[in-house]
Amino acid sequence: MTEEVKKGIEFLKNYDGKKLRIMEVCGTHTHEIFRLGIRKLLSDKIELISGPGCPVCVTPAGFIDSAVELALDHGVTICTFGDLVRVPGSETSLQKARGIGAKVKVVYSPQDAEKYAEEHPEEEVAFLSVGFETTTPSSCIAVRDAEAAGIKNFSLVTANKTMPGAYEAMADYTDIYLYPGHVHAITGLKDCEDMLKKGMSGVVAGFTASELISALAIAVKKYQSGEPFLVNAYPRVVTEEGSLKAKELVEHYMQPCDAEWRGIGLIPASGMELREEFAQFDALKKYGVEKTSGHSNPGCRCGEVLQGQCQPEQCPLFGKVCTPEHPIGACMVSNEGTCSAHYLYGRN
Amino acid sequence: MCVGLSARVLKVSNGTAIIDASGAKRSVSSELIADLEPGDYVMVHAGSAIAKITDDDVNESDELMKEFMN
Repeated sequence: MTEEVKKGIEFLKNYDGKKLRIMEVCGTHTHEIFRLGIRKLLSDKIELISGPGCPVCVTPAGFIDSAVELALDHGVTICTFGDLVRVPGSETSLQKARGIGAKVKVVYSPQDAEKYAEEHPEEEVAFLSVGFETTTPSSCIAVRDAEAAGIKNFSLVTANKTMPGAYEAMADYTDIYLYPGHVHAITGLKDCEDMLKKGMSGVVAGFTASELISALAIAVKKYQSGEPFLVNAYPRVVTEEGSLKAKELVEHYMQPCDAEWRGIGLIPASGMELREEFAQFDALKKYGVEKTSGHSNPGCRCGEVLQGQCQPEQCPLFGKVCTPEHPIGACMVSNEGTCSAHYLYGRN
Repeated sequence: MCVGLSARVLKVSNGTAIIDASGAKRSVSSELIADLEPGDYVMVHAGSAIAKITDDDVNESDELMKEFMN
């Protein structure tokens, strides 16, 4: 550890100014901060709260319901990231649906799902396209490749989301955002600059110990000035303009739509869906499956956890009936989920 | 699923890169990054290399700390 980082730790430990809240929007930040023990280094005046930046956690129950319906009623093979398999829908999960005949295949990427469809022309294959700006380009690549190769048995169930709407929706709950470095590697800094114009402060952060400590120390130091600020503390990855290629690709295949965030509700223009000219790759349209909101367990407080309004330990289900082995809420399922992080690292 | 992997590029051809992420080798899309070459480090998300990176987080953090904390 360098002298500069040690100084940052001392500063964070001894901070005695005005109380402040910092929201780590990204689920990976939440986990790394816990894993590295950074919470224990902070003064009592600094409160870290977790935001809605885990894509699995904000995927609504109705999305899982649609995937189960596609698998069981239409015989579609569901390709998905592993985390989604155990996320509860309104009545069941894909894992339980598997037990009664649903074909669910875990893949590493949308491109792997497209390849699987190409190799299995006798099956209808749908990929569960969830994720933020970091994963949406890969879904677009898969659609482009399927179109180019004339693959007709591949489609997406889209629940892709974008962060700016969530930043605005969460602005009342935090003083500073720890912006997700990889999202802004794609989008660049414009969304953060727009938030700054609205008076919202933030630091774009990386994921290593030195990057997280320096980002937090800079955030607290700048907060003391009383003026809104934006600092890119991850310049080795995040540039002003982001990835133009990724943005062009997404713009070509997808368009913004209103999106439901599990536990939070509808956030206007915070989702991405395939454009009408690519409707043949939209699984819900292809198989005539209705989009529904679904409903979660009424005792689950994931929605409040995702907005930083309560800590997981304040949920009556946490650690009792809701555990990583038996998740009731989506935040307990994913490795990036806040409840999962608190369960794994936060309990004494 | 949203966790990024940093990896070293071993080979690049036709929009695809073979990467080494802590010893695990796999093929990912390299088309989002122009002029990618073997030996470069990249951040990988869901099957695509999304950004070229340096492996020098410590020096970068030190520079930022000097700029903002003093």
